Amino acid sequence: MNTSFAATASTGVVGQTNGGLLQRRIGKLWQALGPLVIFIVMFGIVAILTPTFVGGGGVTIVASSAAPILLVALGQAFVLNIGSIDLSNAAITVLGAILLAMTLGPLGAVAPLLVLVIVTLFGAVNGLLVAYMQVPSFALTLGTLGIFQSAALVVSGATTVYVESNGELVSWLYTTAIASLPMTFLLGVIVAVVAWLFLRFTRPGQGMTAIGKNESGAIFSAVRNRGLKVVAYALSGFMAGLAGTTIIAQAGSASPMGLGSDLLLPGIAAAIVGGTSISGGVMNPINVIFGALTVALVPIATTALHFDPSTQNLVYGVVIIVVVALTLTRSRSATVK
Amino acid sequence: MTQETSQATTPTLRLTDVRKSFGPVDALKGVSLYIKKGEVIGLIGENGAGKSTLLKILTGIYQPDGGTIEVNGRVTKFRGPRDASAAGIGVVHQEQSLFTNLTVAENIAMNAGGHRTGTRFGFYDWRALNKAASETLEIIGSKLNPKTRVGDLSFVDRQMVEIARAIRTDTSKGGSPLVILDEPTSLLERGETAVLEREIRKLKSFGSVIFVSHRLDEIMRNCDRILVMRNGELVADRVTESVTEDELFKLMVGHASHASKSVRKPVDPKATPILEVYGLSRKGKYQDVSLAAHAGRVTAIVGTSGSGREEVSRAIFGAEKFDSGTIRLDGSEVRGWRIPKAVRKGLGFVPSERKVEGMVGGYSAAENIVLTNPGKAAVGPIVLPWKRNKIAQDWFTTLDVRPNDIGLELDRFSGGNQQKVVLAKWLNDPELRVLVLDHPLRGLDPGAAETVNEQIKKAVANGAAVVLLADTLEEALDMGDEILVMRDGAVTARYDMTVDDPSTLDLLERMV
Repeated sequence: MNTSFAATASTGVVGQTNGGLLQRRIGKLWQALGPLVIFIVMFGIVAILTPTFVGGGGVTIVASSAAPILLVALGQAFVLNIGSIDLSNAAITVLGAILLAMTLGPLGAVAPLLVLVIVTLFGAVNGLLVAYMQVPSFALTLGTLGIFQSAALVVSGATTVYVESNGELVSWLYTTAIASLPMTFLLGVIVAVVAWLFLRFTRPGQGMTAIGKNESGAIFSAVRNRGLKVVAYALSGFMAGLAGTTIIAQAGSASPMGLGSDLLLPGIAAAIVGGTSISGGVMNPINVIFGALTVALVPIATTALHFDPSTQNLVYGVVIIVVVALTLTRSRSATVK
Repeated sequence: MTQETSQATTPTLRLTDVRKSFGPVDALKGVSLYIKKGEVIGLIGENGAGKSTLLKILTGIYQPDGGTIEVNGRVTKFRGPRDASAAGIGVVHQEQSLFTNLTVAENIAMNAGGHRTGTRFGFYDWRALNKAASETLEIIGSKLNPKTRVGDLSFVDRQMVEIARAIRTDTSKGGSPLVILDEPTSLLERGETAVLEREIRKLKSFGSVIFVSHRLDEIMRNCDRILVMRNGELVADRVTESVTEDELFKLMVGHASHASKSVRKPVDPKATPILEVYGLSRKGKYQDVSLAAHAGRVTAIVGTSGSGREEVSRAIFGAEKFDSGTIRLDGSEVRGWRIPKAVRKGLGFVPSERKVEGMVGGYSAAENIVLTNPGKAAVGPIVLPWKRNKIAQDWFTTLDVRPNDIGLELDRFSGGNQQKVVLAKWLNDPELRVLVLDHPLRGLDPGAAETVNEQIKKAVANGAAVVLLADTLEEALDMGDEILVMRDGAVTARYDMTVDDPSTLDLLERMV
């Protein structure tokens, strides 16, 4: 009686423990490769449902529509990584695109640089207010979201602003392609690779991740938490500006309601599908590339599946909720003593 | 008479060959033990010896891989904490787990499990609830008002509530409860410890106790029998009268203690202290505190929890502001004193809140070690991972960190091993000049504590100045070259240990 009890208990729980270990390994593997797998599966579904997709330039379409999403998502991921959020970055993209459309004619090659400096400063202001005034990032960037949206309306006169001349200074980014991938997308990939190197191999990068994992611990380890927060938000502003540049490159015009005005939700979704932790401390820029590509496939997939196009934001919303729910469970691991 | 003997021979709890492993790690390799009614059992062992796993099995949080658990002679299986609770096993946790916004009575009733006392149709019957709580409190001899909000109680009173909650589960059946006290004294001040010890003797009259502590003197004082664990096994089961503290230490760590009395050199009167604190004040916290930290010396500050010594130590590290006074480094006043600047000038700080402030738990041990002072692991802002790993591996070997896996997230290590890594983070600065230690040994097993103490002494021998907030007065007397006593934010006494020889009583008199 005793022994049989012991035996059942033994087998039952050993299975469970091995399962736990296996689960942990799968979890780590999933963290590394999950975004790529999700993208491949999604791409496969679309390719099967729409046979003309791959041959008919579908890859180029996905990559070019992924480009601004990727850049916004990378900026968002930097802010998520320090344990905050930037709800204003998509609004900065639109404002930046409008400013670029207005200045490109009169200022020429200086315009993109000037606009990038301005939007970087916008981001830095967000960061300064979060770090030094200690305004919670959610509330603060919700506020600046409204401000940037209004600014975009005022600056543009609530209409579409067209690039009058010198459009070729940026449009080549969209028209030039390597291996059918437009430069706008490759720009995002380059930024992602640089971001990956920055996070992996530099002290400021490691400091940012440390802040996201445990801010108090980072502070007591002499990590300059406030300075790095400003940098993370400034990067978010800078990358939002790059996203605005890709929009001008593609459309040659910008408006508060036009292309790029709806990037907030896809940007967050791409960052999260790309494995970025919503609570901070986990970010892999390379995976954000696949996150952005997956998100860019959503409109194509919904069309292929004959869904109403107006359900796109529903899909983004569901994706965010599901992925966050899954990742939070995954990181809940017991201490091995 | 015969019935009595049979009762006495059936233990309250008996474990036979209980085993548990986590993946490749065998946390418990077949543990057998028994506990009789009226016994106080001391359970000791280093961090990682398997104590926590054993306690988690006893409280139903883990299920064993093999072996049997008998309660009052009957084989039992705990599917969860509720089953253990129903079997009369209650636990008082090291970190308290009460609901501070609820009353004493509500907290005690929270564990009642199947018993419905205190509620009617899912609503509180306040009168019954408070009456039941009063009865339980009376059993343990506490006069607390059941209607008090737990958040308003002192630490030791809250511990009484935890004990009441632990025994609450069984009194209705008239069985014999088993209370597990998991390092209950590690956060208590001296006087409060006495209250708890009195309580343990009271518990003996109607139940049994498993007392887990790192303080061997407490174990010797309170327990009838002592169980020693090492590497997942029970290595000794001794009646208290038959062992000494030294023997227990040897059993626990596998070798004899070689802690030696430090030799104290008088300070050169002409030498400039590395760090001087002059008339430091912060409103409501401390007033006019002055101290000098010399190279190669330990300045210990003793005081109760409200004495202001924690705040002073944090101000020295630049973690908190002060209102007036000066901090001088090598004789010149420092300005804009913040953590990054302090660290650049060669200060290090081991905080008492290890998990919150001492480390970035989600980062690997290696990343934690080089986070602050990368040394050769970084060229300017660029991190060199291979050099980082070598540095971390060297520290792991020096400090005998277990498990020997520098890539493992730091929050997966046990407390003692975490503290070794936290210390390595500061020792990795070859220019380390002042080390501020806030309860560096809190919650550490004797083996880890010895390693940490050795490293502190080595840093001192290499010319660092140490400011120490010790856990115990004995520790302060053992380590300190100078001792400052603080009370209510003011320094009440100073002892130069090269000439003075204060007793713990001398210190205590000036503390309270």
